[in-house]
Amino acid sequence: MNPHLLSILIFLPLLAAVVMLLIPTVQKAAYKYIALVTGGLQLLLSGYMYYRFHPKGAGITEERLYQFKEHLPWIRLDMGGMGRLEIDYFIGVDGLSMPFLFLTALIMIIAIGASWNMQKQLKGYFVLLMILNMAVMGVFSALDFFLFYVFYELMLLPLYFLIGIWGGARREYAAIKFFLYTLFGSVFMLLVIVGLYFSVTNPETGAHTFNMLHMMDPGNYAPNSLFSWLAENQLFGVPARLLAFIVLFVAFAIKVPIVPLHTWLPDAHVEAPTPISIILAGILLKIGGYGILRICFGIFPDMALQSAWWLGLIGVVSILYGAFVALAQRDLKRMIAYSSVSHMGFVLLGAASLTAEGLAGGIFQMISHGFLSAALFFLVGVLYDRVHDRDIYHFRGLASTMPRYTALVAMTFFASLGLPGFSAFIGEAFVIIGTFNSESAHGVLPRWMAIAGSVGILLSAAYFLWTLQRMFFGQPRFKGGQEWLAVLKDTSTRETLIMLPMLMLALTLGIYPAFALEKINASVLALVSLVTGG
Amino acid sequence: MPQPSVTYLPFVALAAVLLPFAGSLLSAIAGRRSQSGAIAITAIAGSLLTAAYVFAQVWGNAPVHGQWQWFVIGETPFHVGLLLDNQSVLMLLLVPLIALPVHLYSVAYMKGDPGIHRYWMYLGLFCFAMMALVVADNLFLLYVCWELVGFASYLLIGFWFTRDTAVQANKKAFIVNRIGDIGLLIGIAILYAQFGTLDIRTLFDPHGLVAASVVADGQWIASGRSMPAIWLTLSGLAFLLGAIAKSAQFPLHVWLPDAMEGPTAVSSLIHAATMVAAGVFLLARIFPLFNGTALMVMACIGVFTACMAAYFALTQYDIKKILAFSTISQLGFMVAGIGMGAYHAALFHLATHAFFKCLLFLAAGAVIHEMQHLNKQYGLEIDPQDIRGMGGLRRQMPLTFTVMAIAALALGGFPLTGGFLSKDALLVHALEWGAIQPGLLRLLPYFLFAAAGLTAFYIARLIFKVFVAPPAIDRLTQIHEVGKWMLVPMLFLAACSLFLVFSLHPFDVGRAWLTQGMVPDTLPPTLPAAHTLVPVTATLIALLMAWLAWKWYVKGAYPLRTTGLLYKLSLNQGYLDKLYDLAVISPVLRLSHVLREADRYLVDGTIDGLGRLGRLLAALAGWMDQYVVDGTVRLIGKIAYGLGNVLRRTQTGRVQYYLFTMFFIVLIVLLYQMIIHA
Amino acid sequence: MITLTHFLVVSACIFAAGMYAVLARRNAIMVLVGIELIINAAILNLVAFGRYDSTHYGGQVFAVFAIVLAAAGVAVALAIILNVYQHYKTINPEDIRDLKEK
Repeated sequence: MNPHLLSILIFLPLLAAVVMLLIPTVQKAAYKYIALVTGGLQLLLSGYMYYRFHPKGAGITEERLYQFKEHLPWIRLDMGGMGRLEIDYFIGVDGLSMPFLFLTALIMIIAIGASWNMQKQLKGYFVLLMILNMAVMGVFSALDFFLFYVFYELMLLPLYFLIGIWGGARREYAAIKFFLYTLFGSVFMLLVIVGLYFSVTNPETGAHTFNMLHMMDPGNYAPNSLFSWLAENQLFGVPARLLAFIVLFVAFAIKVPIVPLHTWLPDAHVEAPTPISIILAGILLKIGGYGILRICFGIFPDMALQSAWWLGLIGVVSILYGAFVALAQRDLKRMIAYSSVSHMGFVLLGAASLTAEGLAGGIFQMISHGFLSAALFFLVGVLYDRVHDRDIYHFRGLASTMPRYTALVAMTFFASLGLPGFSAFIGEAFVIIGTFNSESAHGVLPRWMAIAGSVGILLSAAYFLWTLQRMFFGQPRFKGGQEWLAVLKDTSTRETLIMLPMLMLALTLGIYPAFALEKINASVLALVSLVTGG
Repeated sequence: MPQPSVTYLPFVALAAVLLPFAGSLLSAIAGRRSQSGAIAITAIAGSLLTAAYVFAQVWGNAPVHGQWQWFVIGETPFHVGLLLDNQSVLMLLLVPLIALPVHLYSVAYMKGDPGIHRYWMYLGLFCFAMMALVVADNLFLLYVCWELVGFASYLLIGFWFTRDTAVQANKKAFIVNRIGDIGLLIGIAILYAQFGTLDIRTLFDPHGLVAASVVADGQWIASGRSMPAIWLTLSGLAFLLGAIAKSAQFPLHVWLPDAMEGPTAVSSLIHAATMVAAGVFLLARIFPLFNGTALMVMACIGVFTACMAAYFALTQYDIKKILAFSTISQLGFMVAGIGMGAYHAALFHLATHAFFKCLLFLAAGAVIHEMQHLNKQYGLEIDPQDIRGMGGLRRQMPLTFTVMAIAALALGGFPLTGGFLSKDALLVHALEWGAIQPGLLRLLPYFLFAAAGLTAFYIARLIFKVFVAPPAIDRLTQIHEVGKWMLVPMLFLAACSLFLVFSLHPFDVGRAWLTQGMVPDTLPPTLPAAHTLVPVTATLIALLMAWLAWKWYVKGAYPLRTTGLLYKLSLNQGYLDKLYDLAVISPVLRLSHVLREADRYLVDGTIDGLGRLGRLLAALAGWMDQYVVDGTVRLIGKIAYGLGNVLRRTQTGRVQYYLFTMFFIVLIVLLYQMIIHA
Repeated sequence: MITLTHFLVVSACIFAAGMYAVLARRNAIMVLVGIELIINAAILNLVAFGRYDSTHYGGQVFAVFAIVLAAAGVAVALAIILNVYQHYKTINPEDIRDLKEK
């Protein structure tokens, strides 16, 4: 097996971007085909890696249990009195990241498919898309905090332009809001990274290090350093480690997003072009959840245990609040954006439960939400492409005019509201079960949180079914009258083809969740024992 | 108990379960080509045969358990498995046994419907989900099927999706059922947290984990884990909530009357064996879990529902609504029966009820079908479901009348029917249970008697109004009997509604093979007198009620005012829908609107406000920079410039002026020096 | 007896007359004459004070030197006035303002 498989996966899009830059602008069609080929190669590669991934590769704290790893010195700088700067090119995959790499490849190719009819400045668009692709892959595989941060910030830039240039009417507002929101989180993250750097030493070389795995080991902290486990330093009257945990949590929680830091999401989603909405909902939100698990929980397990109650509360609030607000939306895309808030709340709740069931359920929910939200946004895009309207009350009885589209929407809606047989059900059910189990297992979350969270499942049925009833059933009646009737054609073959893999995956994982669970179980158990110390 | 002779039984049962699903899939693949329903009917017939085989092998024998690993989450494995014991094989047989006649009936009933290919697909899915539910060997799988049943019913109730009432009804059905699903999920979570497994056998065996768990010192203790004892009650109530929603018990029964918007054949299936039966089945399945409190709540809810729904049924005019409330009422009997510990009697009633209720619906469907036909033929606009527009149909539809009368007798609990046996069993047991209860609980059985009386009255009213009373309009004499595709299934079900299917002895329920197969371990002491007294009393009450209905509706001696409060309360179903609308739905929607506005103006407003504040600060800093910092610099320049401008006036260019200035300055310096030195 | 004061008074009167001519006359020649008068007033002072240097006669020597220089200066100045006249067609200093920036 090629030892550089993971690097190839990450940097393939960069190569594609370079090739695109070399091709003259007149060759419009070339860009999307290059992108499609790149995406296809990545999908194959990540699929192969997923297949080869050994279920026992727990990873988390132990470097030897990571797979497809590469560990090269990257930056070595002698800084005199401050020691030697040690930054590594350190990437690897464990059960926490493997599903997301595959998910990223899948969502990317779907986003490329959804951009097929794009007309505006194709070269720039696809180059940015490829850079984004590389950054996301990098974020999911980086194990050096510095490298992680580089990829993390690199991700923002293309997104800003993709929303700001190719977006809808209020695109500049949405792009800036998105950018500032995320930057707000990550700037403070940088401070924590620096603090961690000065607290942690590499046990082999004795130099300060950005290696995340070293940061996870309490033994590697210098005795009197800022974030030392034993020193119990205070910053602004708050324990330093707690403050760092909160800062990192907020940085990632903005991405998730949690209530009340979620308002960038509806705007970004509504203004972004369909493919970018797909990427945002499908992958970007997952980076938040992934970051919380890998970094917040991994590096500050003691604080995670201590703050679990609050995380659970935030999760419950997000679930209920997102669901209620979704119920009141008129704009279909906004409704789906808020449903994302609600569904991602389950991730947080599951993570906070600190039980294997809850955590695995949360990760499963992220994977499932990855392609289901992508599917939902794609479906909204299908409608919007035709009539440039998304108001729920402007449509009625679509089932009669677009039966295939309605079938796809109904399937996706039911999948999203947690119908058994689809993946979201497994995720949500186990988050609830795990949360409930939490008090019995180690008394972290009270049982009422599980009950409150399950109300979100009820509400999701309410808003999805209500939308289904209002838009799709009944006698056809459209705001645009005959004009709309003429353009509201059923889904094309291309659109159906794009939808199929997502629905098939949702079904496959719903019917046989072991496909994903067997890969993530070991890591989940390792993470649970790291945090709960048992 | 003897072991069944064959080891491949789980696979046979699996085939029985999967056949309808395969039929559904094939129908889906065939799309519009599968209009005849041949695939679905073949599948359900095959399913019936295999289920019958399984039933024959398992009934009365030791349970058969087959399972395969499904997935592992954390360290806990979950299985897909079948648990074939008396309860489950009974239901496994019952579902296709009811579904096959419904399928056949649908061939004629749904003929010519443009969406019929979808109909067969949904029907197959419905049967599959229900059959899988009854054989599921663990609660998680059961939950999966539970929701699938709800989903399939959603599809079927909203089958005519262009009708607004239909799509509102199916939404309502699904959401109300979702409330129950949450109860079920929480119940599952409680059991999982306490026992670490969801396997039904491990949990609910007579020597299972639930039986072994104890309540001590306010703690519920089981195999090393414990939680406060309240959770034992709560788990029972959570599962009860699930059953209440699925089996349409008060207060979550509101979806069932609306679910009439689906095709009548579907209603018959929903009401007989596939949907509402699931709740009762679940309660019987996990019976050992319920403690005294939970059972008491269950009994109260069951009795209340039985009376309430019977009361509502008294004044309904829609033929299907009457039957819907009748179902709710009968399910109330069953739930009450389980609450009183007699799950064998409840399941028995479930089985007999399945036949006669299915038959009632099919017969009602036949009437509606012919009424629609009449409408079409003569261009009339009678509501085909309103019993006020019917009457005297027994002459035109004698066979339909006969079968419906048999079913009505069974529902009313008249002797020689299956309904008599099962209702008897329930009532007798209720009396025995009541005898050992404290306080007001003793009265519960008598309410059941009252409900039974009301049942006889409203079903008699239905039959008399539709078939016996004088025709509402003359055209009704032009109506025809239905075709044989619809008649044959009804005749079959009529035969099954008689006592012979269940017991050779028409009066002694104790000899019914069905109840003997699953008698609970603990039963209250028998009251020998009740066994003779109850059948006689119940029959007398029923006869009296039927006679009353005859007098009121056939003889036209109707004594009641239709404006009375009680009448209106019954007609409007206790105003419960309006109450829920006011008390639940509107507040939820209002809350969601308030939150949306809060989100827009408060949360997002704060963020936007922060943004604006940032811009304001930036503007301020910009102003400072422009006018204060840069201003100072420019001021210095301006001063120099101005000074220069003033001083340049001295540069006249005239030499003599310069010289004078020089002289003058020298003079001043000199003078200054002189003054200083002086 | 004629004292130093008498010399100084005469010299001051000559200086004042010269100064007046320099500042007030509208004719460059007359200005030049004024300058000569100022120089002569200075020379008179030099000679008068030379009395106190009877060993080197510094005052007298310097006076002679100044006379020579004044003569040379007058020659150059007259030449300039001539050129000015040719250029501006006037020798009134009031009319020649090219020193001022335009």
